Amino acid sequence: MKYRSRLRPWLRQDPVFIGGQFFVFCLTLALIFHLNIGFLFAASPSLAERVIEHKLANGLTILMVERHQTPVVSINITFAVGGINEQVGQTGLAHLYEHMAFKGTRLVGTTNYEKEKPILDELASVGTELDQRERDVAAKGGAATADERAAIESLQKRFLDLQAQASRYVVGNEMALLYQRHGGVGLNASTGKDVTRYMISLPSNRLPLWAAIESDRMANPVLREFYKERGVVMEERRLRNDDSPNGLLFETFTSTAFRAHSYGIPTIGWGSDILSLTPAATEAFFKAHYGPDQATIALVGDINPKETIALIEQTFGKIPAAPPPPPLVTVEPEQRGERRVEVEFDAEPAIVIGYHKPGLGHPDDDVFDVIDAVLSDGLTSRLHQTLVLEKRLAVSVGSDASHPGVRAPNLFIFTATPLAPHTAAEVEAAVYEEIERLKREPVASKELEKVLNNLDADLIRGLRSNGGLASQLALYQAVAGDWRYILTSRDKVAAVTAADVQRVATQYFTKSNRTVAVLVKKGTDKTVAAIPLNEVKP
Amino acid sequence: MMRVTGHRLGWWGSLRFMGRAIGLLTILLASAVVAYSADPTLNDPRTMAFKPVEFSPPEPERVVLDNGMVLYLLEDHELPLVTITATMRTGSWLDPTDKIGLAGMTGAVMRTGGGGGLSAEQVDTELEQFAGDVSIGIGRQSGSASLDVLSKDVKRGLEIFAGLLRAPAFEPARVEMAKLQAIEGIRRRQDHPGSVVSREFAKMLYGPAHPSARESSVDSIKRITRDDLVTFHRNTVHPNGMLLGVTGDFKSDEMRGLLRNMFGDWKKGTVPELKIPDVSEAESPGLVVRFVGKDTSQTHLRVGHLSIKENDPDYVALAVANDILGGSSFRSRLFNDVRSKRGLAYSVGSRLNTGTHDQGVWLMRAETKLISTQEVIERFVANIERMRVEPVSDAELAEAKEAYVNSFVFSFSSPSAIVSRLIELEYDGLPKNFLQQLRDRVVQLTKEDVLAAAKKHLRPDQLKIVAVGSGEALPKALATFGDVKEIKLSPEG
Repeated sequence: MKYRSRLRPWLRQDPVFIGGQFFVFCLTLALIFHLNIGFLFAASPSLAERVIEHKLANGLTILMVERHQTPVVSINITFAVGGINEQVGQTGLAHLYEHMAFKGTRLVGTTNYEKEKPILDELASVGTELDQRERDVAAKGGAATADERAAIESLQKRFLDLQAQASRYVVGNEMALLYQRHGGVGLNASTGKDVTRYMISLPSNRLPLWAAIESDRMANPVLREFYKERGVVMEERRLRNDDSPNGLLFETFTSTAFRAHSYGIPTIGWGSDILSLTPAATEAFFKAHYGPDQATIALVGDINPKETIALIEQTFGKIPAAPPPPPLVTVEPEQRGERRVEVEFDAEPAIVIGYHKPGLGHPDDDVFDVIDAVLSDGLTSRLHQTLVLEKRLAVSVGSDASHPGVRAPNLFIFTATPLAPHTAAEVEAAVYEEIERLKREPVASKELEKVLNNLDADLIRGLRSNGGLASQLALYQAVAGDWRYILTSRDKVAAVTAADVQRVATQYFTKSNRTVAVLVKKGTDKTVAAIPLNEVKP
Repeated sequence: MMRVTGHRLGWWGSLRFMGRAIGLLTILLASAVVAYSADPTLNDPRTMAFKPVEFSPPEPERVVLDNGMVLYLLEDHELPLVTITATMRTGSWLDPTDKIGLAGMTGAVMRTGGGGGLSAEQVDTELEQFAGDVSIGIGRQSGSASLDVLSKDVKRGLEIFAGLLRAPAFEPARVEMAKLQAIEGIRRRQDHPGSVVSREFAKMLYGPAHPSARESSVDSIKRITRDDLVTFHRNTVHPNGMLLGVTGDFKSDEMRGLLRNMFGDWKKGTVPELKIPDVSEAESPGLVVRFVGKDTSQTHLRVGHLSIKENDPDYVALAVANDILGGSSFRSRLFNDVRSKRGLAYSVGSRLNTGTHDQGVWLMRAETKLISTQEVIERFVANIERMRVEPVSDAELAEAKEAYVNSFVFSFSSPSAIVSRLIELEYDGLPKNFLQQLRDRVVQLTKEDVLAAAKKHLRPDQLKIVAVGSGEALPKALATFGDVKEIKLSPEG
């Protein structure tokens, strides 16, 4: 259970956010993905009875909790779609769609959709052809014939002309403006490997406004300002991954550990893929994955559940049911040998170590959550005690039982920041010693008790905020198919024994199942023996 | 908390205007800008109107102990938890010039070094076994500490918490560890371009020796001894400089007794005066353009200058001007112009960062690829000019007011938010109804007020432009804005 951020050596790069504010990186959400377990209600069973559930005929799931202390409500819409649903060549599509979902509908964000539509259609076809021709020229090393150059220039001219025409109908950021005018705060969205989420908090009497905006957005999005937003996403990629030492380290680490499964692809997408995404592909992605049966809406706050259900039936209820999304078929093959990779950067060293493990729902997954807490939760955790306080090898060290998602088999990872003059190699060796200790000695009953005490307390703390509770309910409904997973997994964790920990550590923490990525200072001698890798190329 | 050792806390600080704006202690949220009669069957969100939200927030109890310690208490029995915060009149403005980093390190080791008769190991073991959470830190203008426990553990939790605040042990091994971590932080602070540009921008505005911009160094950290920490704590942390906020599942009369037992016999001391020198405009060199060469894919930009304090008569008008210019994310001009229309940046906007103790900062920021650097700065300049010569539109002003008024209610989202807001106001010497005053002035603001404030306080001739990016092409992109000079970073550690 990782509500405690203080020992997190760094934030992972997923999920990515639409952002807009200065502090777009929402720590809480990133942390939620660390926990496979998030049992909110175990310590206070009466609260379990407070969740009211409703399912619409079109498959949409509604979860509600009444809290009347303050006349506000927090709403989280979570779709069971994310980077996991992407194919190489179109990576970043889930995230780009999330950005486009803020551009409005046939009603919101435009002065005249009827006039705007033909321009947008032509812009999409000209833009797509222009992208293709520019890629062709680039593939030939940039050499173009005079005819090719003339064709590109003519397309560019037409493209800019259409963009200018289309912009005349745009009412910029009107959806966000409506929310803000009505007192909405915390408007944001995020895309992860497993889910895509849309958040807002409002004065509670504005619920009809929310229902009108969101049901319209779920049914009738319009992909206006598409090419500009693609540019924004490229800047986001540069900011989060290319110019961030930890961002690039994690991107490289994860894509090394997964060679077949889409968990290996950065959620924001490879740069060349982002620059090739088309309005047609984005529209198709929306149609395939944004059906009402893929969505869970959690509302927590000052609401009347009966009236809320009626409101949602009147609005979202009109959205037709959609066919099921394409199945996920790729399974990551067993790893047969350690993989090591380096990232050179103008920055001080850091290291990530990961082991493949099963995902949510597998009995061993709960054991990994216990291991995670024993190793890195708090100042008395084993890794902090040994690597930071006793040996003074690292400034910080952490672990995470569910990288980079939970719906598919994932990784247990260790992260560490070496304390100079100690090297990443020394830190790595010390981590392996702690892993061997897990295999060799049973975990003390006092340690298991501490894990459970902290889980139960954190679960009560998770109830403090409307937004936090809405987020958890919607998340587990989306990834586990039932928010009650929160309740059942707590009991499974409580049942984990010292022998389970030893067995799981021995089975999964093996050299051949391991991937190691090291951030090395540019221009310094390489310190890690690198095995050549065929990294997935876009 | 451990990881902030040696760093200045919160350059980006809190956005006071909005932070407080959404925190007005008002009973009735004014209806000046909202119409009545909602009809939810009309499904066009653009034409919907709603009644203002009515809400009476609970009023915390304020008690002063004989030794001057101020207590705010507000019961809330929904969950079996108690949270206690302490706000202390100490901070890094008191750092000796040869020992920058002392205040931050004192705060860090107050938490990690044991105290109240317990060793560091005993404190951590006991707290974590019952899932108690304690944090302590000292920032630029205040110290803060918190205890967060299940209500069944509140007595023991409070004993440990009081022990750390009153009698920290500063165990030598933990002091040594804090120094090593601070030095490692210094070694790593040039790794992130965002960190480099923020720190260089602050130094450009205030001067590198000013308490609001100065930085620790490996040497300044090495000079700090355990005795320095002991002395800094003894001289600056006093009950009469401390505001305690208590919220959660407790009974007020019992809690008052408990707090008297824990803190009542703590002797008064001489509380340091919070006074930070202004930078006179005579010292300001006017327009300045600087860059730092770093191998990056984007130019990381900060553009702005020093600004007013929060008690300035122009504050409200300038805050609204900034809100419209770039402070309100999606709704702002800079977001629409630079991000939505031009696709040039992911994170773009402006910020008016003010307090009552030191001079505020107004700035714009963005990160953009090298080839669009010049265009982004041009848009910054053009948007300031527009704010200075042309009144904002009626719609823009109305939207800013509506957003402000309608989001007030979020300050009551929790008892701890209500209490911490009151403590913040008292710490800053502002009246309890400061937020209502702000709200009233916002509602009455005119386009002319906003224009006058923009004209007076957004100063193109005073802009400090600081850019971090790829060395060779960057100076050319900056040259149209002034005389470009490089800031050479010396290697750290």
